[in-house]
Amino acid sequence: MKASVVCAVVSVVLASLASPGLAQLPGPNNAITDVPGIKVGHFTGNPLTGTTVVIAEKNGQGVAGGVSQRGGAPGTRETDLLKPENMVQIVNAFTLSGGSAYGLAAASGVMQCLEGQGMGFPVGGGNVVPIVPSAILFDPGRCGAPFTFRPNFNFGLAACSAAQTGPVPQGNVGAGAGAVSGSVKGGLGTASVVLSNGIIVGAIVAVNSVGSTFDDNGNLFAASLELGGEFGNLLPIKGGPPSNTSKPSAAPGGLLKNTTIAVVATNVELTKTQATKIAQMADDGLARAIKPTHTPFDGDTVFAVGTARISMASLLPTFGDPSVVEYVIGGAAADTLSRAVVHAILSAESTACEKSYCDTFPNACSNGKKGGQK
Amino acid sequence: MSRDRRSCSAACAAVVVTLLLIVSSSSAQTPGPLNAITDVPGIKVGNFTLGDPNSGTAITGTTVVVYPPGATGGVSQRGGAPGTRETDLLRPENMVEKVNAVTLSGGSAYGLAAADGVMLCLEGQGAGFPVGPGQVVPIVPSAILFDPGRCAPFAVRPNFSFGMAACQAAQTGPVQQGNVGAGAGARSGGVKGGLGTASTLLTTGAGNGIIIGAIVAVNSSGRTFDNNGNLFAEFLELGNEFPLAAPAGTDVVPPSTLLQNTTIAVIATNATLTKAQATKVAQMADDGLARAIKPSHGVGDGDTIFVMATGTDGRDATNLVNTIGSNAADTLSRAVVHAILAAQSINSSACVVKSYCDTFPGKCAK
Repeated sequence: MKASVVCAVVSVVLASLASPGLAQLPGPNNAITDVPGIKVGHFTGNPLTGTTVVIAEKNGQGVAGGVSQRGGAPGTRETDLLKPENMVQIVNAFTLSGGSAYGLAAASGVMQCLEGQGMGFPVGGGNVVPIVPSAILFDPGRCGAPFTFRPNFNFGLAACSAAQTGPVPQGNVGAGAGAVSGSVKGGLGTASVVLSNGIIVGAIVAVNSVGSTFDDNGNLFAASLELGGEFGNLLPIKGGPPSNTSKPSAAPGGLLKNTTIAVVATNVELTKTQATKIAQMADDGLARAIKPTHTPFDGDTVFAVGTARISMASLLPTFGDPSVVEYVIGGAAADTLSRAVVHAILSAESTACEKSYCDTFPNACSNGKKGGQK
Repeated sequence: MSRDRRSCSAACAAVVVTLLLIVSSSSAQTPGPLNAITDVPGIKVGNFTLGDPNSGTAITGTTVVVYPPGATGGVSQRGGAPGTRETDLLRPENMVEKVNAVTLSGGSAYGLAAADGVMLCLEGQGAGFPVGPGQVVPIVPSAILFDPGRCAPFAVRPNFSFGMAACQAAQTGPVQQGNVGAGAGARSGGVKGGLGTASTLLTTGAGNGIIIGAIVAVNSSGRTFDNNGNLFAEFLELGNEFPLAAPAGTDVVPPSTLLQNTTIAVIATNATLTKAQATKVAQMADDGLARAIKPSHGVGDGDTIFVMATGTDGRDATNLVNTIGSNAADTLSRAVVHAILAAQSINSSACVVKSYCDTFPGKCAK
């Protein structure tokens, strides 16, 4: 009886969510920073590699996070800590970095930066241990760069010090600077969506995938998820790329040198368990935007965090059950992550070694708009 | 009905036979020549300690277990407050199979930086997962324990340089125990914790020639001894390795800090294991902590056990996983006892903590 009531409530809520009258639009910056309590900082190296830091806080304190780690070649820090049964309930920041496993060093710089701001898990005497789960992607040695040039402690310190709210640079910046995706230049992308009831969901991703973000004709898999003309009115491609633009035949990164890493955020108060579920659902956004994903050669890792500006209790009169809130946020997080992937690909710029998507398929991007942020 | 019973009894008989086989195939054991993880051929250990391990001034440090060619890795992470690197990589379904080193470090999560130094050290030796001509990415899973602020300012903790120094100091041969490396600043249930190691050589049966070593930094909220001061894992002694006298008495042991701990360990073996088998061995080895420390795997303990299987014993070890896991647990328990017995009291202006042997002097009289 009780179950059927819950089911009825869920059905009504889900039906109302599906109704076309419930328009979803990107937030003002169409960026993860549209989620209150989220700051983003990049540090970009030359040659191209870099670090992106996502800081999450409420009143200077950390908030609950989770992770989905499904790619086959991960490089990570502090993902054990994120398991729901483990003690520490908060995260202060996430580090996304190039440099393969060497790039995990950037997180140490982020920790020092946050310690200086007094942000971290309190351990007594005014001391804190910043909680900074981190993941890396493979980019060292690309395009003639020395293999030994990769993000280190200083990259993390600089990216963290540069973190701010507001618009987020995309393309060949931060953790996406040296990224490659399938046969074209990868990069960093971000997106956001504002749902009913004030729920905001944002995503940021560094796309460095074995798989491709577009089909054999060059049409982006996630193009249909566009919100509010954000992709700059991409033109459908028929019959493949024009004959004067040859699509590279093989992934320039090589099979062993990839990984797509992301953070999704919401302004809703979450537990670690709920954040974990949302990370798992968000991970499907990679599957819809990149094909194949989560291969043995991708260390694909998606972090999730809730900044607790809206209490879970305040949403229950509308949604009935916390699981429904998770369902709504998780679904939105997946779509937002897919859109962030598209933004990354559209914002990426050609280098001496890899063509961007827009330079590979100029007729798709022929309106000159490269999509993304206003 | 009778058929069911018959098949059941036949199955039971098969189980009994199987168990007898397992029991009869379980090997006799002896410690290796060094009674250290370095008894596993090719395994090197390096410590870097801030302060002097021998004069009671050690503050914190880093311990590295190195096998440059790469050993098949596994992990069991069951403590409630872990600080780790590269444990996702160790899951059996993930691509990279070999680890080049494991870093154990003080410093709480800040101490994860030590692994950066270990990576650079190993890259300089050409040790790592090959990603191109002359290019490697050293695979260095790592875990930390909480020790900052105990006998020195909170900002004093292992960094890049600690890992580099520990890696450069790595060698085969005897391993220093007590207030050294990752065990330098460790505490355990109200007494001084420390670094301990042990090894087991299987000398009979199917496992004859298999060597299992353990190294552990004991920094536990739980105690390694009962209310009378008797060590929980005393009964696992091999070859008079514990210099312990009769019952100890009822000395007062100060309470332990509950939420700032963590015991971290590495098991090494010369057996050939898959990642999945190494993971199983890590899970079984973790029971060695449970037998030596009570409680263990607490909310404030980030207890984490790594396994490195070097494979220099080339036999298919599929039927030896149980034997190796069981002996790994016992070896780890013994390493915990060595850590506690080797730990030295600290009595400085900054901090005072008694060792087990200074707490129960009658017990350590031998």
